[in-house]
Amino acid sequence: MARLTTSLTRREFLYRAAAVGGTALMLDTMNAWGMGIASKVSAPPTLSGSGKGKKVVILGAGVAGLAAAFELRKLGYTVQVLEARSFVGGRCQSARKGFSLQELGGEAQQCSFDDGHYINHGPWRIPLDHQSTLHYTRQFDIPLEVMVNENDHAFVYLEDGGPLSGKRLRGAQIKADMRGHVAELLAKSVQGRELDARLGADDQMLLLDYLRREGALEQGDLAYKGRNGRGYAVNPGAGLMPGAGTPSDPLAFRDLLAAKVGKVYSAVQDFPMHATMFQPVGGMDQIPRAFARRLGGAIRYNAEVQRIGQNADKVTIDIRDAASGKLSSVQADYCLCTVPLSVLRMIDTDFSDRMKAAIKAVPYAPVGKIGLQMRRRFWEEDEQIYGGHVLTDLKGINTISLPSNGWQQKKGVLLGYYNYSLDAIEVSALTPQERTEFALSAGEKIFPAYRSSFESAFSVAWHRVKYSLGGWAEWSDDARSNAYPVLLEGEGRVLLAGEHLSYLTGWQAGAIESSWQQVERLHRRATA
Amino acid sequence: MKRGFFLLAVVAGSAAAQTPSDGKTLFAKNCAACHQADGRGIPGAFPALVASPVVTGAPVDAAEVLLKGRGGMPAFSGSLDDLEIAQVLTYARSSWGNKAGAVSGAEVEAQRSALGVAPPNRSRFGNKH
Repeated sequence: MARLTTSLTRREFLYRAAAVGGTALMLDTMNAWGMGIASKVSAPPTLSGSGKGKKVVILGAGVAGLAAAFELRKLGYTVQVLEARSFVGGRCQSARKGFSLQELGGEAQQCSFDDGHYINHGPWRIPLDHQSTLHYTRQFDIPLEVMVNENDHAFVYLEDGGPLSGKRLRGAQIKADMRGHVAELLAKSVQGRELDARLGADDQMLLLDYLRREGALEQGDLAYKGRNGRGYAVNPGAGLMPGAGTPSDPLAFRDLLAAKVGKVYSAVQDFPMHATMFQPVGGMDQIPRAFARRLGGAIRYNAEVQRIGQNADKVTIDIRDAASGKLSSVQADYCLCTVPLSVLRMIDTDFSDRMKAAIKAVPYAPVGKIGLQMRRRFWEEDEQIYGGHVLTDLKGINTISLPSNGWQQKKGVLLGYYNYSLDAIEVSALTPQERTEFALSAGEKIFPAYRSSFESAFSVAWHRVKYSLGGWAEWSDDARSNAYPVLLEGEGRVLLAGEHLSYLTGWQAGAIESSWQQVERLHRRATA
Repeated sequence: MKRGFFLLAVVAGSAAAQTPSDGKTLFAKNCAACHQADGRGIPGAFPALVASPVVTGAPVDAAEVLLKGRGGMPAFSGSLDDLEIAQVLTYARSSWGNKAGAVSGAEVEAQRSALGVAPPNRSRFGNKH
């Protein structure tokens, strides 16, 4: 018997989990194993039964709370969403003229970008893989535009890049030349009979054929001498000058190797960063706003949660009005709490010690961004870079991202840095003015017109933002095995949801798909 | 002030050059953004380090907080080496009225090893969300 248990395969276990707890338990089990099936969920669960006559209080009007409220309402529940801020969205925010933010321990910032300009200082991209997010943008008719997440014409700039340090390389140069050189090396190895032990004669011929095309190798000596995809020295055009143009010379293989370009650049994007990437026209906050229009008076703003309590029959939420300071209570049959764990851990609850310990087990990511309004789109006009990311090892910068909207207009807002962990902490210790100086000093190394074009800035350090206290949950393996299942289960009449209860942490899709799962769990509990 | 930050940032940015930094500078860079320069934190968000039993308790426990993270705070084990963790802990344990003894790099190293925490990689690249 013991032997049977230990030899249980994952597949067998899943069959049993499904038999005992239905598909939901099976899916939870698979998620707990990191099998990532949730990212394939593209629509809310189809549920039978009605929630009519039952009330659910939802804590937080971020994307998770809003999606849950929308779906629970469709099931007939009475929902009330309590939101501490005076606006919807949680971390899904867009800063435009008039938007203000005061980080804890920081100065107040007021965004003064020109009308029509904004920065998505929270989530900023919707991958094609996140069909759950796209489910709502489609349903709510939120116009999307392509967010240029891959642009091989954008620069790669290395400060610690050996012989290529301080040079403005184009992604396409690195991609073409690395592929060309590696193809040449491999092709010559085939020709020199060095791969005979690994490949048969027919496969060697096929591989050579592939490498000639893939690496643009010379037919005869299989040498890589550059290719037009890496760009010309002088572009072709009309007449005799420029006429056929002048080809460019490839970067030397040794220089590319010594530069260790792989630390910032990869020719193949990781999941889910590959094209096609989207953004809502006018700012990411179009998504929470669309939910809010449909939920109307069900959202109560300035409602700071002070305490979460429950007994056998009901849940009681004590709240403080952030504007007036007035205390009150809300009662409901169930509660779905989407407050980030970083904030929930500070809230008084009557959860068990086990649940409290699980809430405290998850650290949150320090994350920083800065939007810089430029009076002139020098990246387009001078460098022919239309959207995408400048990848760099400049300390604390990580990426400079060019806007994917307003092509060829006069002004634009670019992302001056997007930093994490220690870099984000260090930069967050600076005043807003110092952060701007930090960003400008880096950017002007890459773009000569960077500093002189600068007009105004808006920065955020998410770990210092009240009601958020971090960019996203950063799970350790240990916490995934111990705390995650406890949090997924919730306690009594209180369930949790949010990006933190997914393997898509930091993505709106994680928030939405977590809410869909917990709505199903809540509905099962309420209609049992 | 700005210039000072920059020089420091550039020096720290070159992976090979390990310049000795004092605990106060490390604190300003790594801790003050949340716990504040006066160590008093922000009530309801960031715990005070003044008179904190965690800060002023056993050196191994204080080191564990930085090596593994605690609550909402991330681990610093990937970005600070053992000596730097010792320096910043020593600063916090002896500032703002705290009067706990110094922590040595060897104590942090032993704790890192005991907890099975990987050595610092100073990795800072990524394209996450």
